Amino acid sequence: MKKLFLTLAILFTFGICFSQIHPNEKLVYAASYNMSGLMTHLAQVTLETETVKTSKKDYLHLSCEAATFSRWDTFFKIRDLYESYVNPITLKPSLYKRNVYEGGYFKTEKYIFKADGRTIISTSKKRTKPITKKTFKVGVSTQDVVSMVYKLRTVDFAKFKNGQTKSFVVVFDEKEFPVVIKFMGKEKVSAGNLGDKECFKIAIAAKTNVLRGKDKNIIWLTADAKKIPVLIRFSIPVGTGQLKLSNASGI
Amino acid sequence: MRYLLITLSAFFALLGIAFTILPMGTIALLPIVLSLILAFLAVKKSTDNQKKIPKLILYISALTLLVVIGKEVFIKDEVVVDQQFDQKKVESKENAKKELEELDDLE
Repeated sequence: MKKLFLTLAILFTFGICFSQIHPNEKLVYAASYNMSGLMTHLAQVTLETETVKTSKKDYLHLSCEAATFSRWDTFFKIRDLYESYVNPITLKPSLYKRNVYEGGYFKTEKYIFKADGRTIISTSKKRTKPITKKTFKVGVSTQDVVSMVYKLRTVDFAKFKNGQTKSFVVVFDEKEFPVVIKFMGKEKVSAGNLGDKECFKIAIAAKTNVLRGKDKNIIWLTADAKKIPVLIRFSIPVGTGQLKLSNASGI
Repeated sequence: MRYLLITLSAFFALLGIAFTILPMGTIALLPIVLSLILAFLAVKKSTDNQKKIPKLILYISALTLLVVIGKEVFIKDEVVVDQQFDQKKVESKENAKKELEELDDLE
């Protein structure tokens, strides 16, 4: 009992966010590519959560799946699966898996986060290349890209002022890079089957070649305790795109 | 000027057809609308016995426009059931469970 109180006290003292992410949540998005306001619907992106029990522990399985719509499959088929197995309370990842199939190209990647919280054992395989194994060090608060999305939902944006920022560190392609989020106020956004929702508008900046432009990569999270990602707009080297929530269940 | 309008409208009409065959969505409207405008201007610039080709381009573009609108209205975006992908997801979860068990034992 004493240990429990001590743990809780430490967590509160250091402001560690408790997860508001529940199992069996399913969020379905339509991904589109924009050109001068005209749009082509490319794929369906599904974010799901589920409890996974081992003999000793419970984990929260976070998965992000992208699949092209049938009319695109003949031309450029995408079947991507990103998964993270995290502590259900702190969202600290233990295992991250990436299985990518994009128009004939495939890549698999697996990170095992060791108990020290600073070491990752990575196993990856690209199309024709042999399996590579690598062990590398990361910061104690480093997240994988999937758990980062969910970690963002634990931030108390209600207390943020316009322009206020917060930093995260993400590991992707065996490299760590900082991600800075900036609170940009509130806006009303259409949220699929949830109707119109007041949302927190958050700009995301990352030091990668993937995202372009200042304040052009924006995520809208419902301005309630659930903080459901409703709309994601991104600017990439070949144009702009968006992910729009079409259906949310189990929230 | 008339020849330039016909050439450009024909080019955009072909691009429109290609975009209509490809699943480009409403992006296909860009070349189609350009083709329609240019073909219309070409018809206006033509004498009565010169109107055959620009009119043909105009009709083709209009037809392509209808196909694009029809596709957008009637064809629903859906993901087909991919058994191979579903199997991959199941296997991934089973393997992950084993890996997590091993990880628990190391702690």
